[in-house]
Amino acid sequence: MEILPFLSSIIGMLVFSFLFTTIFLQAVDSIERYTRSRALGVFLILSTTIMIGVLFIGSFISNLGSQIKLFTQKIQREDFTTSIENLSISIRDSLPDMIANLIPESEKIILIAKNVMVGIFQSVLSLLGSAGSLFFIAFMVLIFTIILLIEYHDFKRSLVRFMPNKYLEVGLRMIYNIELQISKYLRGQILAASSVAILSIMGLFLLNQLGANITLIVFIGIIAGLANLIPMVGPFIGMIPAILIALMNNIGSDIALNHQIFGSIPSPFFVLDIIIMFIIVQQIDNNFITPLVVGESVGLHPMAVMLVLLIGGTLIGPLGMLFAIPVAGVLKVVMTEIIFITKNSHLL
Amino acid sequence: MKSLYQNYFKKNDNSDPILKTLKNVPIFENLSDKELSDVARLTHERTYKKDEHVFKKLAPAEGMYVILDGEVKITDSDSDTIFATLGSGDFFGELALLDEEPRSASAIATLPARLIGFFRTDLLTLMKRSPELGNKILLNLSRVLGERLRRTNQELAKPSQ
Repeated sequence: MEILPFLSSIIGMLVFSFLFTTIFLQAVDSIERYTRSRALGVFLILSTTIMIGVLFIGSFISNLGSQIKLFTQKIQREDFTTSIENLSISIRDSLPDMIANLIPESEKIILIAKNVMVGIFQSVLSLLGSAGSLFFIAFMVLIFTIILLIEYHDFKRSLVRFMPNKYLEVGLRMIYNIELQISKYLRGQILAASSVAILSIMGLFLLNQLGANITLIVFIGIIAGLANLIPMVGPFIGMIPAILIALMNNIGSDIALNHQIFGSIPSPFFVLDIIIMFIIVQQIDNNFITPLVVGESVGLHPMAVMLVLLIGGTLIGPLGMLFAIPVAGVLKVVMTEIIFITKNSHLL
Repeated sequence: MKSLYQNYFKKNDNSDPILKTLKNVPIFENLSDKELSDVARLTHERTYKKDEHVFKKLAPAEGMYVILDGEVKITDSDSDTIFATLGSGDFFGELALLDEEPRSASAIATLPARLIGFFRTDLLTLMKRSPELGNKILLNLSRVLGERLRRTNQELAKPSQ
């Protein structure tokens, strides 16, 4: 039983390597077309990706660091407590008595707010602490990805070698359809994620013009785009960093506390503005971009999508939700072929 | 890592029976040694026992086969007609490279046979990775099919006896 966690981490690495291989396969194939060297294609694609990744993570960490430093200074000043107190009073006043009584006293709220903030910082720190093992895993995933990318077509050929003659042609068709399904899904998702990221950045920029004072908008946008990869729950996860940063930056500012949308709907610290902005981005994505770029990428019924997400989320968590749809798409292809084989067994 | 070694360090081996056989197939005509070995890397070598079906009539068709050694007969199992008996170096099923129609006849190994399979998905991969090579193969394939059409037309034009 002790070998299980070890095995699962290796399987996880392989899954990620396979995922990256599928993402980069087409790009490597097209570079190979011009350079006539597959190894050069793999080197160019991976080194560019790694460079962009390192630059992004590096500047994100340093920016986040200075943001946290600023915020800690702010917390230590007196106005943090007064600001939280004002906020809780204004929320209380705007609610009917019945619900207002459910909200704890101001002192308790300050305590809760402080604890939550400390908790967030601690988890960020522990995440940085585990960077060591993360580095090892990333390195192994890189090695696996390089090998898979260079040898992909040969690996596929070796797999076909084990197929019985009877199922050869059906098997080849199944592999091709699975590849098509995954790459279509991935390409669609990457395009949709990028468009959500760009739209979110534009939306946050607009909010800043209205005085929202949100920093790190590029990072927030990219995180929202990535979170968007998880269907249904993702968009809500994407809002969290923006709301947190708006709170951190605007605490102590009376203008932000008393901000109102259209001068009538209260939206302290621009929280409601941010939520509305993300909902608009989601609507643009769901109604215009996704149907255009993803189309009926996996061809699953919305009910099936929800069920599959629930199963994935319950079994493996957020990662399960991320992989649930493509895995279901692959299973659908396999099932279609198996049904075909059983119906037409006299032809094989 | 064997193929990595083959790709970069090992010289093309002209004595390879697969390369030698492919070179004489009209569909792979006019390909350089490098191109031919690129094609060979995508093909699948299969062995069939005597009387084993390579494919059955009306089965989904995915590609063509070149006979490395052995013997294969092309037959209509319904009427027991034998259209052709093919030997080493011959090829069959090439129409499946172009369309997805089911097989129009059955292919059965009459002797133990080694075949090289070249499938539509391989051709599509090749066209993506190396369009120039893919075009050469498509042109050759069209030539083969055109030639066959011309021959059929001549047969039809003959006065019926």
